[in-house]
Amino acid sequence: MASRPAAFPRLEVPTDFGFTEEHGLLRQEARRFLGERLPMPELRKRADAGIGFDRALWKELAELGWVGLVLPESVGGAGLGWLHLEILLEEMGRRLVPGPFLGSLLAGVAILEGGSEAQRAALAPGIASGDVVATLAPTEPGGVFEAGGVTATAEPVEGGWVLRGQKTHVLCGADADLVVAPFREPSGAVALFAVALPTAGVAAEPEVSIDPTRPMARIGFDGARVGAAARLGGADPEGAWHRTLVRGFAALAAESVGGAESVLLLTRDYAIARKQFDRPIGFFQAVKHPIVDMMCGIELARSLAAGAAAVLDATPEAAEPLARMAKAQASDVYAQSVRKGVQLHGGYGFTWDCDVHFYFRRAMWSRAMLGDAIHHRRALAGQLFG
Amino acid sequence: VSARTDETESREDADFRRDVRAWIASEKPAHPGFKLPQSFLEVESERQFEFLRAWQRKVYDAGYLGLDWPAEYGGRGDPHKRQRIVSQEIARAGAPFLVNVIGLQWAGPTILAFGSEEQKRRYLKPILSCEEIWCQGFSEPGAGSDLASLTTTAEVAGEGWVVTGHKVWTTLAHFASWMILLARTGPAPEPEGQALAALRAHKYAGISYFLFPMDAPGVTVQPLVKMTGEGGFNQVIFDRAPMPRSALLGQLGQGWQIAMTTLTFERGAAEGTGGGQASPAESSIRSVVDLARRVRREGRPAADDPVIRDRAAQLWIDEEALRLTGQRARVAGLNMDDRPLATRLMNKLVYSELGQRLTEFACEVLGPDAALWLGDPCAPDKAEWPRAYLNSFGVTIGGGTSEIQRNIIGERVLGLPKTK
Repeated sequence: MASRPAAFPRLEVPTDFGFTEEHGLLRQEARRFLGERLPMPELRKRADAGIGFDRALWKELAELGWVGLVLPESVGGAGLGWLHLEILLEEMGRRLVPGPFLGSLLAGVAILEGGSEAQRAALAPGIASGDVVATLAPTEPGGVFEAGGVTATAEPVEGGWVLRGQKTHVLCGADADLVVAPFREPSGAVALFAVALPTAGVAAEPEVSIDPTRPMARIGFDGARVGAAARLGGADPEGAWHRTLVRGFAALAAESVGGAESVLLLTRDYAIARKQFDRPIGFFQAVKHPIVDMMCGIELARSLAAGAAAVLDATPEAAEPLARMAKAQASDVYAQSVRKGVQLHGGYGFTWDCDVHFYFRRAMWSRAMLGDAIHHRRALAGQLFG
Repeated sequence: VSARTDETESREDADFRRDVRAWIASEKPAHPGFKLPQSFLEVESERQFEFLRAWQRKVYDAGYLGLDWPAEYGGRGDPHKRQRIVSQEIARAGAPFLVNVIGLQWAGPTILAFGSEEQKRRYLKPILSCEEIWCQGFSEPGAGSDLASLTTTAEVAGEGWVVTGHKVWTTLAHFASWMILLARTGPAPEPEGQALAALRAHKYAGISYFLFPMDAPGVTVQPLVKMTGEGGFNQVIFDRAPMPRSALLGQLGQGWQIAMTTLTFERGAAEGTGGGQASPAESSIRSVVDLARRVRREGRPAADDPVIRDRAAQLWIDEEALRLTGQRARVAGLNMDDRPLATRLMNKLVYSELGQRLTEFACEVLGPDAALWLGDPCAPDKAEWPRAYLNSFGVTIGGGTSEIQRNIIGERVLGLPKTK
């Protein structure tokens, strides 16, 4: 048809990308452990009691090597790749694992990407071991989280910095020992700060989360004074923030794929078990076809999430478009899956007793965090049209 | 399609790709000046056909076709990915498609899988060289989605068979030397007075698969006009048309099983086709982006319209997701350990629906000019976009409709109760 524009963005994915035997073992291990440790009745118990964070469970995940999965061995991590993490997050999403995993993961990434050698050595081991519960505070009122929109400020003072501004929807923000967040310096550049909690002038106030397994807090920095060492001192702070976010897109995409997979299986099983008009309702194409569309959407989103992970392992500087695509698609597919999932469970689907609403809540949460499809498509369109 | 070239390939494959690309760049025929078909579904005239046949012949003579077919049958015995590289480069260069699609992609691989040694030696090489064109006689006026209810018969007569019946949607029949033909060789099903299960078994068991010579007496090929107004599409009527005993492929009564294999190739769910396969959706978002830069809406480039940009970005995501799913499907089983068939069986559904959404979107980008049709001197891109959108229904309907694909996936992959 028409000639191709010269500047069409290139997406580089290794030809042989895919999961190996070793990845399969991690999947099996994660599926077995989570199936035993967090079956649905256990998750319900926690949700009903409002326990979104549990230090004992956190320690267990750390001992399995999951909390430090992609952190280097030199700081006590497992030194594995993003494709491993993609699998682990899919499995965690399937079981709606509560707690600060994503916050801790991304705080660790931010420290690796943005910290000096000394800061990495000082901060990362505690995160990997699970002794320090870290989280990331990317979002500000107004929905801003990418570097260009950061309004919280860091002002240099004798021996340190004064931080001002609001961060919202901070995962496990009221329980964390360490929070990493971007602040704008007087020069206009964005820098990352790792702030130990509690600190005078920093107030973490719990929010009411739509997802009881994902507690959040708004954290106010009201002229909080932090030492010079709190500022992550790597070479390119704004780049580090961007790289952290890109990994966040990929991570949340993988977790969303796992959640949508659970909804698919619940709905499929219900469509086989539930009989109306003397037949399993899955016989009827008005039920069967939406379930198939759900599966196709999930497989497509899984390919993007795995592709983004493969690129993060091979050529991380090229990962941004795929990570955005994965987040956009996985958010939408998860949202579509829970929408159809509730609907196809009929009257039962509308009850608290039916498990689907827990996924519904998680899907709503996951779409809202780190940019929904509308946000990422806008960024992608900028690359597509130049 | 350049996304494929972005894959990190082995040095040998990358060299091969470079050679293929250079060869196509220098040998790709100039536009002949008359309207060319968009796909093999609308080859109408002799001159269109001869132009396309000459191109396929040239590709074959250069050694770029049948790469993964055995050398004794005219191929080269190379790994499948080599053929894929050629197909990708043909699509990428915007070179003409390879016209013997049914031979290369459906009949050929089926003959390789089920044919006798004699049949393989007889039929495969002329498919590659485009000396013999193939068409497909599966659907009938009363047997579409419910293909197994077909009623065309092949009766034993003398040393061979005679065929009586009516086939429809027979693309390329007017140029074809051969047809892959499904006909009933057992007694016709009797809908009344039989247990349903017995009827079903009966229905499938009575079907055989033939390689039918189109020059037989008693064969009438009549053109059908597509919704685009174009031909290239036919119905074929058989009035005691004879074929030799050797026309049978596989065993008597094995036709349904073999037909399912053909459909697996047709839907892109299996590898091993002779080449020339290019998913229509693979490269198209680039063209639509280019279009949006050229077209103006409300006095500004369509490329500046935030709604257009948003929808284009979604289609880019969809294209990449489909491409990566294809890539993932080619890697070992662990990628699909929960659902080994999923990524292959969903291919036809996803790419055909995506191609339709994409071409419809291009028409929307055109704004008022989307109302211009082939032949209007001011139509953007010679009205190829509206034409492509109308033609996209050939893909979402042919080879098993999207609805049938959803049944197949729901039943075979997800274990949902059978509809039929």
